[in-house]
Amino acid sequence: MSAKLLLALTLLIGGFAAPARAAGPTDADVRRLLATTLGASGAEQQRLLGELGNSGSKFAHDVLTAWSRGEVYLYAPPQGAPVPVLLDEQQDAGGKSRALRIDTGAWLVDAAGRELHLDPAKLNSVDTDMRLRSAIQQALDSLTLADPDPDARHAAVVKLGNSQKAVYIPVLQARLALEPDRGVRQALEEAIAMIQLNASDPAVQAAAAGKLADLSSMGSVDALKALAAKTSAAPEVRLAADKAATALDRHIATVNFFGTIFRGMSLGSILLVVALGLAITFGLMGIINMAHGEMIAVGAYTSYVVQNLFGAGFGFAIVLPFSFAGKQLGFGLKLPGLNATGWVYQSYFLVAIPLSFLMAALTGMLVERTVIRYLYRRPLESLLATWGVSLILQQCFRMIFGANNVQVDSPTWLLGHFTIHDVSFGYNRVFVIALAIAIVVGTWLLLTKTPLGLLIRAVMQNRDMAACMGVRTERVNLLTFAFGSGLAGLAGAFLSQIGNVGPSLGQNYIVDCFMTVVVGGVGSIVGTVLAAFGIGTSDQVLQQLLGSPVLGKIIVLTAIILFLQWRPGGLFATRSRNLD
Amino acid sequence: MIRSARSKWEPLAVGLAAFALLGVIPGLNLFAPAASFLHISDFTINLYGKYLSYAVLAISVDLLWGYTGLLSLGQCLFFSLGGYALGMYLMLMIGRLGQYHSDLPDFMVFLGYPRLPAHWVPFRHFWFAAAAVVWVPALVALVFGFLAFRSRIRGVYFSILTQALTYAATLMFFRNDFTFGGNNGLTDFKFILGHDLRLASTQRGLYVATALLLFATYGLCRWLTTTKLGMVQRAIRDRENRVLFSGYATAHFKLFIFMVSAVIAALAGALYVPQVGIINPSEMAPDKSLEAVVWVAVGGRGTLVGPVVGAIFVNALKSWATRAYPDLWTIILGTLFILVVLFLPGGLVSLPARLQAAWRRRSPTPPETPAAPLATADPASTSNPPPSALSAPAGNPGSP
Repeated sequence: MSAKLLLALTLLIGGFAAPARAAGPTDADVRRLLATTLGASGAEQQRLLGELGNSGSKFAHDVLTAWSRGEVYLYAPPQGAPVPVLLDEQQDAGGKSRALRIDTGAWLVDAAGRELHLDPAKLNSVDTDMRLRSAIQQALDSLTLADPDPDARHAAVVKLGNSQKAVYIPVLQARLALEPDRGVRQALEEAIAMIQLNASDPAVQAAAAGKLADLSSMGSVDALKALAAKTSAAPEVRLAADKAATALDRHIATVNFFGTIFRGMSLGSILLVVALGLAITFGLMGIINMAHGEMIAVGAYTSYVVQNLFGAGFGFAIVLPFSFAGKQLGFGLKLPGLNATGWVYQSYFLVAIPLSFLMAALTGMLVERTVIRYLYRRPLESLLATWGVSLILQQCFRMIFGANNVQVDSPTWLLGHFTIHDVSFGYNRVFVIALAIAIVVGTWLLLTKTPLGLLIRAVMQNRDMAACMGVRTERVNLLTFAFGSGLAGLAGAFLSQIGNVGPSLGQNYIVDCFMTVVVGGVGSIVGTVLAAFGIGTSDQVLQQLLGSPVLGKIIVLTAIILFLQWRPGGLFATRSRNLD
Repeated sequence: MIRSARSKWEPLAVGLAAFALLGVIPGLNLFAPAASFLHISDFTINLYGKYLSYAVLAISVDLLWGYTGLLSLGQCLFFSLGGYALGMYLMLMIGRLGQYHSDLPDFMVFLGYPRLPAHWVPFRHFWFAAAAVVWVPALVALVFGFLAFRSRIRGVYFSILTQALTYAATLMFFRNDFTFGGNNGLTDFKFILGHDLRLASTQRGLYVATALLLFATYGLCRWLTTTKLGMVQRAIRDRENRVLFSGYATAHFKLFIFMVSAVIAALAGALYVPQVGIINPSEMAPDKSLEAVVWVAVGGRGTLVGPVVGAIFVNALKSWATRAYPDLWTIILGTLFILVVLFLPGGLVSLPARLQAAWRRRSPTPPETPAAPLATADPASTSNPPPSALSAPAGNPGSP
């Protein structure tokens, strides 16, 4: 039996601790009422159930649920009236368990004060019949509608509305009079109108259809369409339903359109941060870094590690298939965690963002020092060598973090969303867009307004000349490459909030990124920004229109190839007299 | 001196290789007793056949990259197109022997196709499929190459665009409604031209066919690179603008070479598929094309022997490493690529010459001619080549 009963008990104990709600009956009142109801019969019982339905008590909800399943028992003590009890789910060796008195909320004890253990098979459960069960169900429905959590109330209202049963109208209307929350009130009105669509009076039906359109109730489109197609309905009702459905369809299309644009913007802004890094390493330095995608993964995994360090700690062990002097070679790392909770844990992401940048930048420096600095004159070969780097890094991720995706939890302050005209804007996506804008502005300032930016531009325009003028090109190269890689790491931190984090994370973005840079015009930041938002948004819009992620991607790629026919240098081609 | 040494030894090496691949290996498979250490098992000969088709693919990459300076990251697209074209024929030859005992290929039954799609019907005929192996990739190369070369997309941009093309095609072939088996591709082949594919003799025949294709490709490319076309080709690699200003329509030359190399890759793919028994979209993924480029880099680009050596060496290494160190093999391969690019730009085939040069420098008598600079820059790929590229004839070992 019953995980549910255990739940009921924990909730009950929680109920003691919680401060008594200002309005409505107290726990003791509810218990007394429950005991009376269980003992009553006929019309009196129905009335009491109605009263229970309005009590808003969680305990009443649990007892009524148990009752409708026949899990409320009557215990007849040696003397006095029978006591209604719930049985604990933990059974002892004899199949017996402790019993909870519904009327007092205490364990059932015998005269000596010891806890009694009862066998469910030897007890009588409180009987129910068809009529009683439906009354209990109705009381349960009203109880859910009175749930203190507005979201739970909202869900309950929608469920009742979708059932389209006239019996719920009085319950819903009663609740509408009491409901403090605006959103739930609207849901209640929608639900009532939904139920009224099934009314027998054509005037009520038509009015309900109009009302649903006025409320822009997106959930009722199917019901309205079904009504419009119903041949037995009155013609004016069908007309009204059809009109309402058309209006709602239009509304839904608008909402979806803006939602898609918004998602495209957030995807585009991640693409933007990645592509900005690539625009620097590829556009300015001429290096094709196939490992750029792995820098994204470095950033994402850094977020994962930081999250674990704020939690239970992080560790890994790798066993190499070699042995030396009889000992298996391998290495591992164990970092203790802070075991933080609450807002400290939730703020891990704020620490993760700079660390992601830093880790990716350090990885970039390592790659630059060991591989890329030999290849500044051979861009095509940098492609091959960095592909080797990418293979190595991917395998390292697999060995350290496993081949499966890892779970990065969004901090709670990024989880919610706000709604404008039914279009929901997730905080995480808004956050990503805002940070992307900040990063673009920062990069632009760095490149155009700082001494380092001046050096970077000088080296990128003419490495030999810059060296002749005394610029330490090696160091500028190193810093530029580290900065570009760091930007990819930042994008990885953002991605960990929106998508999955796995060893091949970077591979999904690398082609898109190269496309973004090429379309934008190599070396142009404005071009990269426009191309990133353009590609990100059109990708999402086409996905929505065609209903298939793959087809949208194919069309975007084809469009890019054709676009380059028209502007081979990209949107903002660098003007140059050089033929190459 | 190095060049003359190579061209002197190359015919001999090729002759020996022909004898070994076409005579010794099939002979040992056929005649050596199974217990003998000389015996080559059916599995091994199948594996060699696979390597040889990879070697043909590598030559096609090198024809583009090593000789024309076009680094295509889409050669595996053509390889797979050839494979799919023949795979469609093989699929229809299964007949009613499939899992569902239907006239339709298994995946079509599974995906609920009512009848054979119209474009599948002519693939019942072997010669139609064989022609498709040639003209489909050639057509794709023509259209894409025309668009790319017309707008003067070159160097790195060409690589990135070919990669995008391949990526788009891979996504397309992954779709179930693209009528090519989606994710699972085409597999479970039974017969080719009436021969049972599961028989050792059929597999041996396919191996011999692949070896013949390899030598034919080698011969064709050897001849092609000595013609005037080949000279223009290398001139485009070294200084495209100068060729352009000399009155050559470089785009046409590049387009022609692109198509030839696409067809070579497709032929390799067509022989690869019956030997491995499956073709699916992951074969054409951008990674695979990059891998093929790496074979060429490892073997030595700008030569015709290099790609063959590279393809066989890397794949043999891969076969060994995936068994011996399953967790580490990508790290081994990645490290190999980095080392070769950094320290051995001429690839494995340049190793003897480099050792010779190093030995000469150590020997007491000074050499008559100074050894060629070792770390030669790639003349094809950079917009402003360093001075050393101009004085590095050894960087173009394929020139006559």
